Amino acid sequence: MRLFEYEAKEIFRNFGIPVPKGLVVRSPEEAASAAKKIRLPAAIKAQILVGGRGKAGGIKFANNLDEVVAETKKLINEAIKGHKVKSVLIEEKLDTQNEYYIGVTVDQLSGKPISMFSTEGGVDIETITKEKPERLISKKISVSRGFFQFEARDMCMQLGLKGSTLLKVSSIFHRLYKAFIDYDAIIAEINPLIITSENEPYSVDAKLEVDDNSLSRHPNLKLNLNTRYQDEIKIEAIKHGFSYVKLNGDIGVIGSGAGLTMATIDLITEFGGKPANFLETGGGITEELMTRVVEIVLKDKRLRGLLINLYGGINPMPSAAKGIVKAHEELKPKIPILVKLAGNQQEEAWSILENSGIPVMKEVQTEKAVEKLMNLLGD
Amino acid sequence: MCILADEDTRIIVQGITGRVGSIQTKLMLKYGSKIVVGVTPGKGDMAVHNVPVYDNVKEAVAEHAADASILFVPPSFAKDAVVETVDSDIKLLVVITEHIPVHDTMYIREYSRRAGARIIGPTTPGIICPGKTKIGIMPANIFSEGNVGIISRSGTLLYEIAGNLSLAEIGQSSCLGIGADPVIGTDMKEILELFEEDEQTKLVVIVSEIGGVQEEEAATFIKDKMSKPVVAYVAGKVAPSGKRMGHAGAIILGERGTAKSKIDVLRKAGVEIANEPSEIAKIAKIYL
Repeated sequence: MRLFEYEAKEIFRNFGIPVPKGLVVRSPEEAASAAKKIRLPAAIKAQILVGGRGKAGGIKFANNLDEVVAETKKLINEAIKGHKVKSVLIEEKLDTQNEYYIGVTVDQLSGKPISMFSTEGGVDIETITKEKPERLISKKISVSRGFFQFEARDMCMQLGLKGSTLLKVSSIFHRLYKAFIDYDAIIAEINPLIITSENEPYSVDAKLEVDDNSLSRHPNLKLNLNTRYQDEIKIEAIKHGFSYVKLNGDIGVIGSGAGLTMATIDLITEFGGKPANFLETGGGITEELMTRVVEIVLKDKRLRGLLINLYGGINPMPSAAKGIVKAHEELKPKIPILVKLAGNQQEEAWSILENSGIPVMKEVQTEKAVEKLMNLLGD
Repeated sequence: MCILADEDTRIIVQGITGRVGSIQTKLMLKYGSKIVVGVTPGKGDMAVHNVPVYDNVKEAVAEHAADASILFVPPSFAKDAVVETVDSDIKLLVVITEHIPVHDTMYIREYSRRAGARIIGPTTPGIICPGKTKIGIMPANIFSEGNVGIISRSGTLLYEIAGNLSLAEIGQSSCLGIGADPVIGTDMKEILELFEEDEQTKLVVIVSEIGGVQEEEAATFIKDKMSKPVVAYVAGKVAPSGKRMGHAGAIILGERGTAKSKIDVLRKAGVEIANEPSEIAKIAKIYL
């Protein structure tokens, strides 16, 4: 779960990382009173959970109180990269002498944290990697050994940092690693970390994404799903442990297992159809979950047909079948529905579905199920 | 031959008294897997499907000479359970558990490797050597004995591919899921090494999906070291960028990790690409 910039900054500040003075506001009126508490000029930054915010017009600058109010008015409720802005951060704009990039993330192949430092601050890490790899130093870290202060210094020295700048930047780098570990982060990043003309370091931007699987360990993070996500189905998916991604088509898809569901939407596309969604149940199917996911997909008004593709390995197929039947009886959909189902207790599940008049495919080949559904749709 | 585990492998089930652990133990026993002991802290002295249950791994191993373990423990206890098992000198751990914090997985990957133990998973359907043993949750009726080895990132897509092969009367030597999380215990390349060594395996199928970088390293191994033919299917061709498609690791970030980039890197290494799952069987027929 990605945190808002202001939340990440509050956490970084608690780790002793300096951040510019600023306040979060939700209206132009609040902005006016916030602006009186900080030194102007100010930066006004949309608090949205998406990268590339600056280029998309999500960061404005203001020299006086009137401009702060006017720019806040422009941003609040505006959609930036498809995300509606509900709050902005009003922050002192600092006089920058140098900009750096520091970050810690999970290196998937080695399975280790990787610490990264670059003198190309303000540029995104993918671009640095591609265009100026010589200005980027990275190091994989043993989780049981940890990342030491001297290693942070050595990395900064390799790119020419000296004296007090070396000490200030490397110390923040080391603290960022600690924040990454303590918060079970997927990524912790400061870009840019600036050095002001008074030779003081500040974390001007802050990115922190906490592993969804670790959220229960961090009860101090007050994560209100309703302020974080703007899509109701997404909120319900998080609560019930399934995944949902909306797509542009008109054929609903429910699958047990991510790989299988991805293959199903690929095949529908290949056969000339357009999937309306990706819905994957995961390994925790119950009758109730199945009823709910079928209801969610069937509520989509664009839908012309629905394909349900299930395997009984860890998932109980008779419960899945009962859940489908229940949703079917409640909603009485007029569009064609096809269930393909195989694995443990398949016969029992098939008869539950057939007894309720729901068409079942008994072959393992998803291609055949897609073809049959397309025929039912007359495509 | 089986890779990793065969009919003589003596298996512990950790989390055997839970709902899933108990059902899956019954199914594994039915398949003929040699489940010798179960572990659930606090439930020692019980028995599940006639399998004796112990409070810890150390005693279970001492009494029953087990040499592999399958874990159904809840995610928040997985790190503890894995370290306990590695410390009891078990060298093969199949971690079925989903939703283990990635920082815990980084720790157990490092810890197990230092001890010379192998973790399959997390978020894996496990391992099956058809006709011999099953240390996993896969539906047994879909698999059949033969010469094709399957490595999959996903669970249910492994079943689909194995089912397609069995339908075409092409059996499998060993099949396993390496796990769908961003960090896993054993890499795709390391399983390819085992299949390259295995006499029974004549062809290897890679079942892949978007996200991660496993295929790049695997492709280098295939190109430089692999003598056996490899066929691959990659799911997620129409997956939108930046959206997590079910699995924690299944997300396209930038240009890397797209189905196209994986297909390209595998094809360049000489891997035959199947566009649809059923094509795997057609390609396999040509080689076998």
